[in-house]
Amino acid sequence: MNTNEIVRFEHVSKQYPGTLANDDVSLSILRGEVFALVGENGAGKSTLMNLLYGMQKPTLGDLFIKGQKTGANHSPENAMRMGVSMVHQHFKLVPGFTVAQNILLGHEPQKGIFYDEKAAIRRVRELSEEYGLRVEPTDTVRDLSVGLQQRVEILKALRTGADVLILDEPTAVLTPQETEELFVVIRRIVDEKNMTVILITHKLPEVMRISDRVGVMRRGKLVKVLSTAQTSEREIASLMVGRDVIFDDLRTSQRAGRPMLEIFNLKSLNDRSLPALNGVTISVRAGEIVGVCGVEGNGQTELAECIAGMRPAQSGSVTLCGQDVTGKPPRRIRAQGLSYIPEDRMSMGMDARASVADNLLLGRQHSRAFSVLGLHLKKSAISRHAKTLAQDYDIRTSGVDEPAGSLSGGNMQKVVIAREFEFDTPVLLVCQPTRGVDIGATEFIHEQIIRKRNEGCAILLISADLDELFRLSDRLITLYDGRITGEFAAGSIDKQSIGYFMTGGYQEVNAQ
Amino acid sequence: MGDIFNILLLQNTLRTATPVVLAALGCLMTQHVNITNIGIDGMMLIGAFFAVVGSYYTGSWVGGLAAALLIGILLGLFYYLFVIRFHSDEFIIGVALNIFAGGLTIFLLRTMFGVTGSFSDPAIVPLPTIRIPLIEQIPVLGPLISGNTLLVYVSWILVPVCWAFVYKTPAGFHLRAAGEYPDALTACGKNPERMKCLASVLCGVLSTVAGAHLSLGYLTMFSQNMSAARGYVAFACVIFGRGNPPRVFLAALLFGFIDALGLRMQKYIPSDITSMAPYVVTVIMMVAVVLMERKKKKARA
Amino acid sequence: MKGMVQSLRALLRLKPAQKLTRDYLVSLLLAVALALLVGAGVMKLTGHDPLQSYAALISGALGKPRAVGNTLAKTITLCLTGLAMSLAARAGMFNVGGEGQLFLGAMAAAVVGARAQGPAWLVVTLSLLAAMAAGGLYALLPGWLKVRWKVDEVITTIMLNSVAIYFCSYLANGPLKTAERGIAAGTDSIMREAAFTPLIRLSNLTTGAFYAAAVALLVWYIMSRSSVGFEMKLTGENDTFARYGGISTGRLMLWSMVFSGAICGMVGMLEVFGLHKRFITTVSNEFYFDGMLVAMIMRYNPFGVIVMSFFFAILSIGGKSMELSAGVPSELILIVQSIIIFFMAAESGIRTAVGNWISVRRARLRAKKEAA
Repeated sequence: MNTNEIVRFEHVSKQYPGTLANDDVSLSILRGEVFALVGENGAGKSTLMNLLYGMQKPTLGDLFIKGQKTGANHSPENAMRMGVSMVHQHFKLVPGFTVAQNILLGHEPQKGIFYDEKAAIRRVRELSEEYGLRVEPTDTVRDLSVGLQQRVEILKALRTGADVLILDEPTAVLTPQETEELFVVIRRIVDEKNMTVILITHKLPEVMRISDRVGVMRRGKLVKVLSTAQTSEREIASLMVGRDVIFDDLRTSQRAGRPMLEIFNLKSLNDRSLPALNGVTISVRAGEIVGVCGVEGNGQTELAECIAGMRPAQSGSVTLCGQDVTGKPPRRIRAQGLSYIPEDRMSMGMDARASVADNLLLGRQHSRAFSVLGLHLKKSAISRHAKTLAQDYDIRTSGVDEPAGSLSGGNMQKVVIAREFEFDTPVLLVCQPTRGVDIGATEFIHEQIIRKRNEGCAILLISADLDELFRLSDRLITLYDGRITGEFAAGSIDKQSIGYFMTGGYQEVNAQ
Repeated sequence: MGDIFNILLLQNTLRTATPVVLAALGCLMTQHVNITNIGIDGMMLIGAFFAVVGSYYTGSWVGGLAAALLIGILLGLFYYLFVIRFHSDEFIIGVALNIFAGGLTIFLLRTMFGVTGSFSDPAIVPLPTIRIPLIEQIPVLGPLISGNTLLVYVSWILVPVCWAFVYKTPAGFHLRAAGEYPDALTACGKNPERMKCLASVLCGVLSTVAGAHLSLGYLTMFSQNMSAARGYVAFACVIFGRGNPPRVFLAALLFGFIDALGLRMQKYIPSDITSMAPYVVTVIMMVAVVLMERKKKKARA
Repeated sequence: MKGMVQSLRALLRLKPAQKLTRDYLVSLLLAVALALLVGAGVMKLTGHDPLQSYAALISGALGKPRAVGNTLAKTITLCLTGLAMSLAARAGMFNVGGEGQLFLGAMAAAVVGARAQGPAWLVVTLSLLAAMAAGGLYALLPGWLKVRWKVDEVITTIMLNSVAIYFCSYLANGPLKTAERGIAAGTDSIMREAAFTPLIRLSNLTTGAFYAAAVALLVWYIMSRSSVGFEMKLTGENDTFARYGGISTGRLMLWSMVFSGAICGMVGMLEVFGLHKRFITTVSNEFYFDGMLVAMIMRYNPFGVIVMSFFFAILSIGGKSMELSAGVPSELILIVQSIIIFFMAAESGIRTAVGNWISVRRARLRAKKEAA
């Protein structure tokens, strides 16, 4: 046993109903290292860390923290006591509380029976100085940026004097600057405090940049542990996927037709009433795919919702097939010729409680094919239609009457795509089409999008996945802080260079 | 109009407001843990009944209050068990609780005392009236501040106490965290359910004590459905006061004032019309709260 | 106070969720049995004979043709109010204000029924329309506030109940008070020929039942077979999705609320034309709340609502004769009913708790065996 070892998994397996989330994982993690745990969605990396943090118990195998076996009553509390802390992807902060109240929640300093605010502020200042994480103790968490909220979350995790800090997808919501700052902090606590940081991620450039060692997971198994200095992004990627990932270029050249979707100087607010779109102008022509790339949270969501009529625009206009549809309700916009695959399928793209058939029916309930006089539903026709679509779009379900929410992520997405693509509208708005979808389904979905393009659809594709965008788009647009920072024809730019525009670099006007 | 706007009006305001204040303080506890408790009305009714029972059988107001407290704890635990532990729909439980309370109290009234409608008896001892020696002599304020029944003073004390509890103690923080973001509490090793249980019990106790004030405060009797939708008014006060005890208190006073004003206007306006006032005001207040919220959101942008 | 806003939103979580599964119905039977058992216990404690009392209850509800008629009339009231609740709830609106809508409907019907001139069928039709309009319009206000400003409809409808009841009481005691003697608080009596005639002699079951049946059938059809019902369901379950899919959710919610109110208004009209022949201030005794709870425990399933309404009607009609012949206060029935509701609301929670308890016990037994 390595004397420097701080965490050890010994033949750990975790069985969930239907899936083996972790399959005989043995792993040692050392003191004073940044250990990156990578893998695709569902590869089992979060499960493994949840076992370590005591959120779940392993089905088989043992877990050791600092040489001590964790035992049957392992819990987050127990983990914290043993020096393991975790920062979850979804922050566990009370939005209405101050920074100090959040950091000290459950361990408030008291004066008599009252909360001692002065002592709390002092304590947080000390903590913040000790780790070099600047926060203002009296700020209300709700008003902080995501990056600062994460910092509060990290301080909260460090409060108990942890030796091991688990960070679950910490950069998913951060801007590049915030990511950079986070990495500085990680390096500092590892180098100066001799702590261990375990990073769950799937962003390979970050792995290369920050970690000392990488563990690659695939389908519940720990495939390999590599030393970062002796590997490459390419090697890790192929280990993750199990084969070389070179997506073929699916595009075939084709001449684009006339503009079908024109967005002019669009401005809008986000849910927190802050400006999200600051004048966006895009034109999409028939038979082309325009890809919008950007770090998440730079206005993509609002852009899609404005086009589809789900969010009011402050100014500017959206023209669909030659008709101004700005401010029209979704019903009118759809009738004018838009289909829309939203980024959040669970809350917008489907009704998880309704059946697959009902989900496939929406939008056609008044059509002659499925109702008499637009009123009396023809149940058998609806069911037949659903079965046909399930077959055409490879939706794997035990029956079209089962609730859509019981399907797997990929199959849910196929339900959404099947419904929207079947409208045969001239314009398609496609957002994050393959998020949380397995590789097989991704392949299928990509083919469907290309098929639509070849049929002459104008497609606006919004995605956080650069590979996807590069694979499908005829033109690429970079969105940063609600503004368009660049526009490129396919093949005229590579992934490395486009990152500059996604993070605020600005293309000279007409430089294209 | 001098016969309307006089000191009696203010006295009546306090009198009608007090049960609403007490119940609203209970309601805000559950509101802070994110439970919408509309069963307050039933809890008040049951409290009112058992206060009379306690007072009647022990021959002392202490017994009445103790009975109300005890039944309040039981109701709080019951509410916790069903709403939190069994994840029932808080709304169904609330409505059912109100119906249950109506049935139970009348049933018991008939089987225990053999009467229908209402029960009053010289053996029921009312809550004591407290006179404060020096203040009593101050003109105008004197008769207002002094000479009220016990629970009026209790409610005055409870307003700052509840405020301090909710906003100034760690337990209050945990209570609010359990409502606003229970995961945060779980993550630091605390059990949000425990806070919800505490809130339910506090709510039960305060509501039944409010009921005790109804039946032993000024009237010394129990009559069927005597809570008369005051539980809903209390709920509305909590919404209007945004769960902040002093503000909730003011809202309750406002309701009390309108109620008292209505009673005293009966000479000029039919009582049915004046009785509508608090409910109309509640609806207007609900709209006002939402509009204010919107405005604030706009202002922030 | 974000938590506060959230908790208001929590009310919106109460959406028609699950279907009536077999397990659920089994639980329902268990809950009913348990509640009746508790009722029997209470009777025993208060010195009554449970068996005899329950027998009196059954014969009081179903023993004579007249009793059956009354039970069916009560079923209709519960059923229509329950369907009114279901209709709104299906689209995600919680109409707790049915009681007030019922009062206004009754008042409107009584006024039109007393004043209108013409053949009986015309007076009935006009009164029905007036009642539905009154109830519907009264539901429009909270519905509009909800759709336009997101003002929580649960609270506003509860408040508006009291407003309507006091208002009707004011009318019946004041400007519209009848000159007839012996009526404490009521309006003029309606046109005699227009009143519904009993279908069973001396019972409350009148020709109004046909109107009720027609409306019930219509509601069932809309909810389970029509495209509008489909749209309502999606709106109730996920309104973002419904709007995204091109449904005018606001309009749908508003209309479902208005129709819900109209049905409540009609219930008021049925009470006036069938039973009282005029508006009196005791035209309804929280009828709507009973129907509402029936709808909730039957998960807004129209057919289930009808069956459960019948059962609850037996309890409340039988309860009265149980009081007369066995001396058990009829309020016991309210207790029994609310126990059923408590348990059905907690059904899934109790099921899980019991399941856990059993598995823990089993594991312990197994461990003991292994140890031995």
